[in-house]
Amino acid sequence: MKLALLGNQNSGKTSLFNALTGSNQKVGNWPGVTIDRVEGVIKKSNATIVDLPGVYSLSPYTSEEEISRRFVLEEKLDLIINIVDATSLERSLYLTTQLLELDVDLIIALNMYDLVKKKGININLKKLEEELGVTIIPISAKTGVGINRLKTRILNRRYKKNKHKKIYPTDVEAFIQEVEREYKYVKNNKNGKFHKRFGAVKILEGDRDYRILTDANLKVKKQSLEANYNMDGEQLVASLRYDYIVKVRKNTVKYKPHQETKTEKVDKIFLNKYFAIPLFILIMAIVYFISISLIGGLTSSLISAGFNGAEHLTIYIGTYPIVFETGTIGLGPLLANWLTSVGASSWAISLLTNGVIAGLSAVLSFIPQLIMLFICLSILETTGYMSRISFFLDRVFHKIGLSGKSLIPFIVGAGCSIPGIMSTRTIEDESEKKATIALVSFVPCSAKLPIISLVSSVFFTRWGFAFALLFYIMSILIIFALAFILRRLIKRKEHSTFISELPSYKAPSGKYIARDVADKTIAFIKRAGTVVVFFSVIVCLLISFNWRFEPVTNVENSMLRDIGNAFGWFFYPMLGGHWNWAASVCSIQGLIAKEQVVSSIEVIMAAGGGEVFAFFTPLTAFAFATFNLFSIPCIGTIATMRAELKSTKKTLLVILMEIIVAWFIASFIGMWGALL
Amino acid sequence: MKKQKRVFLHSGEEGHLSDLRRGQKCVVLDFHNDNAALRRRLLDMGITKGVVIEIKKFAPLGDPVDIRLRGYELCIRKVDMEGIDVRVL
Ligand SMILES: Nc1nc2c(ncn2[C@@H]2O[C@H](COP(=O)(O)OP(=O)(O)O)[C@@H](O)[C@H]2O)c(=O)[nH]1
Ligand SMILES: [Mg+2]
Repeated sequence: MKLALLGNQNSGKTSLFNALTGSNQKVGNWPGVTIDRVEGVIKKSNATIVDLPGVYSLSPYTSEEEISRRFVLEEKLDLIINIVDATSLERSLYLTTQLLELDVDLIIALNMYDLVKKKGININLKKLEEELGVTIIPISAKTGVGINRLKTRILNRRYKKNKHKKIYPTDVEAFIQEVEREYKYVKNNKNGKFHKRFGAVKILEGDRDYRILTDANLKVKKQSLEANYNMDGEQLVASLRYDYIVKVRKNTVKYKPHQETKTEKVDKIFLNKYFAIPLFILIMAIVYFISISLIGGLTSSLISAGFNGAEHLTIYIGTYPIVFETGTIGLGPLLANWLTSVGASSWAISLLTNGVIAGLSAVLSFIPQLIMLFICLSILETTGYMSRISFFLDRVFHKIGLSGKSLIPFIVGAGCSIPGIMSTRTIEDESEKKATIALVSFVPCSAKLPIISLVSSVFFTRWGFAFALLFYIMSILIIFALAFILRRLIKRKEHSTFISELPSYKAPSGKYIARDVADKTIAFIKRAGTVVVFFSVIVCLLISFNWRFEPVTNVENSMLRDIGNAFGWFFYPMLGGHWNWAASVCSIQGLIAKEQVVSSIEVIMAAGGGEVFAFFTPLTAFAFATFNLFSIPCIGTIATMRAELKSTKKTLLVILMEIIVAWFIASFIGMWGALL
Repeated sequence: MKKQKRVFLHSGEEGHLSDLRRGQKCVVLDFHNDNAALRRRLLDMGITKGVVIEIKKFAPLGDPVDIRLRGYELCIRKVDMEGIDVRVL
């Protein structure tokens, strides 16, 4: 049995999907908001269910909505679960009227039913069911009420058949049926077998994806309908759908007279003319302070010490260092001791401790701060605050050729560029979307956090937090400057639009957030765990052998040194006039995954005793970090960019832009540092 | 660019949705924009002839605008509101 979950944005699709499938998710989606379709299996059954991006209508507007429409029209489905937000029934049922025209059965999951009473809404369910001719199950995806009932109804197939409820006045209905009979005009999908009625309505709308009427008789009839109603086909269909819904709503729903809602009260503060932006900055600062400075500072040195061992352990709370005497305990040294005792060769020991363990620890040591960041972002997202941020920042973003919705990709990009780039699909305007895609990877993603942490904690001990902040300010400035330039370069067709629902505030659900954060973190560990460890081992091999594959003890004789030397010229200026092979090796490593930069530094340091980086002054370290933060993103991001821009040329241009920008800024800082 | 002084509409007058003040209500008469995709989206979001729209609030920087219709709230830029003809209630 194959089911699709369809509904408006924020109607609770993902919550319902999680409630129905439990942990039986088959294909993990990208870490991030629901962007692509995600498949799962309903608990204790063989019914597959697909969570699709939210849509308001089956006429796609953004590329994200196109995914949903194509899936519904082209896939052979047994049932559509239409999730309807009971608190905004009128708008939600608009999609339902379209689904009723498909040759697929549907069942309405009337969600947010827990809020209905609180909001003083009274819905006559039985009557609504009768009017629409659809089985309706009231549920709360958040509290779990009604989920079991919905599940048994679905699995036992106890729901009404879709009889294509007639919702139009008789003259329009007659026309639609005539087009349906003249089926040769209608083409919905590859095999053209399904959804006759839907196609016929599309023809009345004059939808560009459908054949236009060639039959002279029908053409005349359409024109006379349009004249009668004084609207073109497209307007006519939309109006009639809403007319029908209003009629149904009047018969079945009663509202308490409007009082000031909680959302309105909260918005008086968060969307206040004067407080909105300071509050936003404060919230963002808190998010980054908690996840990066506090949690990051607390845990990363702990984890790293656990893996590698350390004589002292220094933990920074803000800027206060706390030192513990620990002695060299740690997984790496313990393993090395044991391997030596059983007589393993020295390069094998080095491969394991300096390659695998050092690489792993570099990645794992910032998992705690990543989790914290994901939790914060998830809270901002699910409470509805994120929508408000794009609402009030749209003006600023619009000025520089982006959309208010660009902010979400940027914020998500602070976790990982890949879901960040994917979430640009919600941006309607193509040129705003492309500009956003090109700029997302300038936001330091969590994989770049170790670079920031390393540089700011090692070289700027006391002012670590301030320097970490400086990187973010730099990233914002670069994004604004480049957006301004890109606006001139990217051709635009029509003026862009920003149309977005302002959802009411919702209390965050712990279960939802836990699952969301777990999915993202696991996806991250999987990627980092495989890619990073693999390449850490490679660096370690390159460091442990010379070109004749003989083990070397001194790094200066290794293959890695020569490879790094070949690129030395490129880094010469930003290192303040130092020719250094290790710096280039680390940056090349960053191409694979940004976590690599720091883990390579650690691998090389472990092998070379730290002297290779001894020339780093705070400023050249800062320049070097700047280059690695803003230059080419990792391979995964490049691939995602290519997929979303749908052009190799544009992707290469973006990469070139990134290298140039990063190189100039870094070289400037490096040279300036050398002159001081 | 010189800032044009905004002329607000009064009850009973006809004009564009963008010329309303916070708290005012109006009824939609017609569209006159030529962006087909935008028009489609507005229709889908329930902005059809005869629907009543209330201006809820302006974003802190003045644009976009939060409007209320059909029991929910929608954010929309002022430029896009210019293409919607209304009569103030
Ligand atoms: N009160 C309440 N909140 C809900 C319910 N279902 C979902 N939510 C909340 O609504 C928001 C959006 O839900 P989500 O599942 O992400 O919606 P989607 O965008 O359709 O996938 C989240 O904050 C959920 O916690 C419900 O039945 N009752
Ligand atoms: Mg979702």
